Amino acid sequence: MSEPLRLFEPTSVEAAVGVLAALGDDAKVVAGATALTLLYRQRLIAPGALVSIGRIPGLDGIEVADGELHLGALVTHRAVELSPVVRSAIPVVASTFGKVANVRVRNAATVGGVLAESDYASDPPALFLALDAVVDVQGPGGRRSIPVAEFFIAFYETALAHDELVTGVRVPIPPAGTGAVYHKFVTRSSEDRPCVGVAGLVRLDADGTVADLRVAVGAAAETPQRYRDAEALALGQRLDPDVIARIADAYADRVDTLDDMRGSAWYRTEMVRVWVRRAIESAAATAPAP
Amino acid sequence: MTADDTVAGVTARPIDTDGRISISLRVNGREEALRVRPHHTLLEVLRNELGLTGPREGCGVGMCGACTVLVDGRPVSGCLLPAALAEGHDLLTIEGMEGPNGELHPIQQAYVDHTGFQCSYCTPGFILTSKALLAELPDATRDEARAYLAGNLCRCGSYVKILDSVMDAKERLRGQGG
Repeated sequence: MSEPLRLFEPTSVEAAVGVLAALGDDAKVVAGATALTLLYRQRLIAPGALVSIGRIPGLDGIEVADGELHLGALVTHRAVELSPVVRSAIPVVASTFGKVANVRVRNAATVGGVLAESDYASDPPALFLALDAVVDVQGPGGRRSIPVAEFFIAFYETALAHDELVTGVRVPIPPAGTGAVYHKFVTRSSEDRPCVGVAGLVRLDADGTVADLRVAVGAAAETPQRYRDAEALALGQRLDPDVIARIADAYADRVDTLDDMRGSAWYRTEMVRVWVRRAIESAAATAPAP
Repeated sequence: MTADDTVAGVTARPIDTDGRISISLRVNGREEALRVRPHHTLLEVLRNELGLTGPREGCGVGMCGACTVLVDGRPVSGCLLPAALAEGHDLLTIEGMEGPNGELHPIQQAYVDHTGFQCSYCTPGFILTSKALLAELPDATRDEARAYLAGNLCRCGSYVKILDSVMDAKERLRGQGG
């Protein structure tokens, strides 16, 4: 028989981080367990210890402060989806979390979990990237904040050290007049993971030219992708079909698309082209008139 | 093995010589004391330790809904939740749906009356998810029911009759005053 699995249930972030620091890579953090159980059952991980953080108080808050939406690490996807605070502050965050998997997974899977797992085929990471969100983490040395743009490193790999815990994420509330969408393109059933997911934000100036445009593509490569120079092609321009096509082409050219059962690399590249265009178009259509 | 296992001030659940820990689960209103391995899923424990075979393993990856359990009224996949993490919550399986005299719950009766099943493997999951849906959205439209139940798969393809059952169950519950 293999070594028995140890279960730790710390009741503070400091204690959880202490256990992680002491046990190193042998310990895995578990919250809603939807990802961990899958990885464990498929024998992709074989931890000697689980650190269950579900009993830590204070990590399940949803609030708006200083122009930012704060989501605690233990907030479930379903709570984000249904929260009046989220729906009012940044509606696209609520609707995007509502597109993840099915109601059962959304009732268990957490905000901290979807960040820390860094599964390329999740929906929220691309949206968080487009929204310039910041991940708050805590380790033995204290707290630090990591912009989402620097958080996702590779498949199942983040900027987190093994003894750091995600405590929450802060999402700056876009200025009034911003239109924002997340398009989830699935190639099989409606509850499947995305083949390609595209988050788009558009804000127009009073003269109808683009003041801000952001595009992040998820599920197409190892990590969500965003190209500021491609976004900048639209700045100060009218959002006509040529400009949109140039941005869509830039993303299609640059995303290093991967092959999986939801689509080949070639197909993904073409779908990036299509869905970046549609995301920009529908974000612009959603934006209130300046 | 039973020695105190404390790391950084946090004591692990004591592990017996057979690798099991003691947990207690509140299932269908009863408190159950159990010995499980920390990686045992709620589905495994309900079926193998408590003999509750309503929750079933379909896909084993959280996509089909055959193993649905209501945790504090909310549907979750029993196949993805380690049983130890379900401690302290109210768990409901299909076995806990019937009334005190064994009468079927109105949702169950609606499924029977509309034949909202064929082989019935998926039925406990559908009925429990329907219960959560109608608790959350007592006036759910057919489209809302379809969206809520999208994560429950019926390989016989009884979806039309399942939705008929849910819409009728809604009326029956309303007739009961909730």
